[in-house]
Amino acid sequence: MRKYASLNYVMVAIGLLFVAPFAFMFFASFKREAEVLRPEAILPKAWDASNYEAISRNSVEAPINIWFLNSVFIATATTLLVITLASLTAFAITRLKVRGGNIILGLIVGTMMIPAQLFLIPLYVILRRLHLLDTPYAMILPSAAGGFGVFMLSSFMRSLPTAIEEAALLDGCTLPQMFWKITLPLCGPSIATLAVFTFIASWNDYITPLTFMESVTNYTLPVGIALFQSSYSTQYGLTIATSLIATAPLVIAFLVFQKQIIESMTASGLKE
Amino acid sequence: MTARAKQQVTGWILLLPYLAFFAIFVVVPVIVSGWLSVVQLDLANAGASKFVGLQNYSDALKDNFFWMATQATGKYAILMVPSVLIVGTAMALGMNSMKRGRDMARTLIYLPSMLNVAATGILWQWFFNNEFGLFNYGIRQAGGQGVPWLTDANMAMPSVVLMSLWWTVGGTSVIVLTALQQIPKVFLEAAALDGARNNQIFGRVTLPLLKPVLLFVFVTTTITSFQMFGQAMILTGGGPTFATRGLVQFMFETAFNGYRFGYGAAISWLLFAMIAGFSVLQAQVLKVREAK
Amino acid sequence: MKRRGSFSIHGLLLGIAVLTLLSGGARWFILGGSAVSGRTHISFWNGFTGPDGIVMLRIIEDFNRQNPDVEVVMQRIPWATYYNKLTVAGSDGRGPQIFVSHADALARLRRAGFVSDVSAMTQGNNAIEISDFDPYVMNYLSMEGDLMGIPLDIHPQGLYCNVDMLKAAGFVTDDGKARAPKDRTEFLDLIRKSTIEKNPKLPEKQWGFAFTYWGANFRSLMPQFGGRFLDESGNSELNSPQNIEALEFLQMIAKENMAPPPDNGLGWFGYRTKRVAMVWDGVFMLGDLLRLNDLDYLGAPIPQIGPQPGTVANSHVLCIKANLNEKEREASERFVKYLSDHSLEWAAAGQVPARISVRNDPEFKKLQVQSAFAEQIPHMIYPPRTPIIFEFMLELDVAVEKVVRGQMEPKAALDLANTNAQAIIERDRREHPEDNP
Repeated sequence: MRKYASLNYVMVAIGLLFVAPFAFMFFASFKREAEVLRPEAILPKAWDASNYEAISRNSVEAPINIWFLNSVFIATATTLLVITLASLTAFAITRLKVRGGNIILGLIVGTMMIPAQLFLIPLYVILRRLHLLDTPYAMILPSAAGGFGVFMLSSFMRSLPTAIEEAALLDGCTLPQMFWKITLPLCGPSIATLAVFTFIASWNDYITPLTFMESVTNYTLPVGIALFQSSYSTQYGLTIATSLIATAPLVIAFLVFQKQIIESMTASGLKE
Repeated sequence: MTARAKQQVTGWILLLPYLAFFAIFVVVPVIVSGWLSVVQLDLANAGASKFVGLQNYSDALKDNFFWMATQATGKYAILMVPSVLIVGTAMALGMNSMKRGRDMARTLIYLPSMLNVAATGILWQWFFNNEFGLFNYGIRQAGGQGVPWLTDANMAMPSVVLMSLWWTVGGTSVIVLTALQQIPKVFLEAAALDGARNNQIFGRVTLPLLKPVLLFVFVTTTITSFQMFGQAMILTGGGPTFATRGLVQFMFETAFNGYRFGYGAAISWLLFAMIAGFSVLQAQVLKVREAK
Repeated sequence: MKRRGSFSIHGLLLGIAVLTLLSGGARWFILGGSAVSGRTHISFWNGFTGPDGIVMLRIIEDFNRQNPDVEVVMQRIPWATYYNKLTVAGSDGRGPQIFVSHADALARLRRAGFVSDVSAMTQGNNAIEISDFDPYVMNYLSMEGDLMGIPLDIHPQGLYCNVDMLKAAGFVTDDGKARAPKDRTEFLDLIRKSTIEKNPKLPEKQWGFAFTYWGANFRSLMPQFGGRFLDESGNSELNSPQNIEALEFLQMIAKENMAPPPDNGLGWFGYRTKRVAMVWDGVFMLGDLLRLNDLDYLGAPIPQIGPQPGTVANSHVLCIKANLNEKEREASERFVKYLSDHSLEWAAAGQVPARISVRNDPEFKKLQVQSAFAEQIPHMIYPPRTPIIFEFMLELDVAVEKVVRGQMEPKAALDLANTNAQAIIERDRREHPEDNP
């Protein structure tokens, strides 16, 4: 098939179109409030870091540092819990072949069909009973019960050869040792992908903290950013600077794990 | 204890933590949700509940707001799904025929998906603003008439879709691109040798080979379209006059602003029924097709 | 399978675990552990998430310094979700000892059963004088003989003008100061004069007027035409001829292109970026203007469009939770009285104090926007006092929106809203027979 050189330029142009809003955000975050939304000038008249200063001061109005901390804690704790529970479960079902394991797996996969929104109201009622509303655990614990991780790791572990594990058992390795020293490293890339997916989903989750959190100091970044819009009047410069800060960790994680992410994203797509 | 018995016991011990979570945060909520949908629950009144049978469901089917929300959701899905398929595939084809910089383009196109919905929405709200926004400024500078992006009831949903497309189409392009790269070169070369033109190659060779991945995109995009929430919530608040308030937002506002948990639960079951209905239909169509 | 260089799953796990511990520890360190023993802890909830929250926090710090035996901790929740979270937390016993409620939300909270009667605070020594409040407000807050809270402020909707644009349109007094339009003729005149297709200073069109929150814009016209929400027996009266007439005025504004098509919250945005000459909004929006330094603004009563002056208003009411122990109750009352006594400070954040004596204070008269908005108090109305306030107002808002967007005629829209609102009222009577004997 012939390749057109001009197509290269078109695609680069499209790519740039997709990132143009990021460039706009970057410049806007260094503008003064009165200037931020003037469409006639993209570059700031005078570079001004007052939005970032405001963020570092951690104002009462918008405790962005605390939102950031909340986001980190919730996303990392969720990720840790999800990969721990999912890998143990997948290990028990596919490697230790517990009796009834496949029925359990079927049940877990079956519940994945239920839209997440169906859980919102009952979880609210349950978390209220457990006195977990307005705490980070209201977001962490329910996420750990999701079936996606178990499903993903089970299908991966099933494809692994059993020879190494059998040899290890003959060498007197215990089952927990086998899990920790052999199975886990073999699943490394797929656990890393699961970790990145879970982290991104938790970090960007909007409806759950909106529903389960009460105090402004327990907010995560997305609901915090939305708060700018709802409270009296939007301060666009601050909103945009905060959005950039909120996105930076994900972009970094994405660039580091790009290969794993794209591979497994397509793997899940192509299996159907 | 034999090694096999030990393996079973260890297995169950390792399984238990997750099963506990699964029971508390998946199984119990489904049951609670089912129960909620047949009661009138008043959390304010110390959580008193009254059994009302199927009244919540029949109320929903008689509720004008429910049908408006269903319509909005449907409209979103009908606009969003083909847009994602066409734009995503076109961009994947474009990237596939790039000589240099393909990885770079792929990264750039995927970048918007990293933004959270609140940041995306607030940014685009300004792009779209009628009087003071970026898009209309550009259009007017070029001598055109401003477009009522978010203020016109017919225009608002396409605008929401446009933003969602920018936000999420990168993922689709990446998936389709990988599928394209997995098509063995010999197929394409053979077709070219037989004298097929480029568009024939695309229609007869590439497209059929892409069918599984496009089907996957179709199904997942449709399901996520049914669940649209944050985009409209931030961008339009569901307006103008509820033209963009989808089912999830309707459910959310019914339960958490209107205090009607039972009714909200019933709406979420109706949403589930629609998604399940679509999945069954889709699988049936596929079966019939394959049988032919 | 390819081996992936130095990638170590154990390292990844360890890294995530360390991050979790660090962030969790930092959270705990910052948010927890401030409890000082021996002080009575009072949790105070409100929705002051804007600049007003900063002023409130300063008042609380002063109170805590002057009252070493009490520690008040403020918790802010955005108004959009505030009432639901307050209701749920309150009925859990987890909620605050003191909370702010808008006057029109009290009927709903009263039904939830955790608002206590504070009429004792208006009797005896050291009492808050009931005569220091407007009778309209006090009547509104009294339900079946109980006083549901102490009003902190009154926030009417009023007119904000851009001073430069007033002057440019010739709206000046004899001594050259800008003045606001007072009646229908002047209001329309100013709109026409300030609507400029091409203002050389602006990238685009300048508008004379813009809708902010159109539902509230409409409600500030209702009393001018003598319109009401409910009749004496609590039935919806949204489609009264008076209300239709008021809505016809807004329809005219929209139809004649005297305002840009309504867009979420962006009327205010246009005003603060000097592209709109006038908006109607609440006095609390002043807090946003106070942090801008390049806008010259003027506050005034809503122009008299109908046969009489009037506007819509509301109050932030200080409420105390029912069934507190004696110590908490005493501390709570002390704090509520302190806030009420210091409502001049609160007024500076963009509020009109509920206490008449504070409004007569020369210091208050110096606050231009606040005192101009306060002139409207004799003619103001509050939203209806009903437990289904949110659903009721939603119907009205939809009707107004349809009209200002040109989708429906005022009468048809209000007829529909009235039917729907009446259905909600009847559903509520059915679901809560105890409230509707």
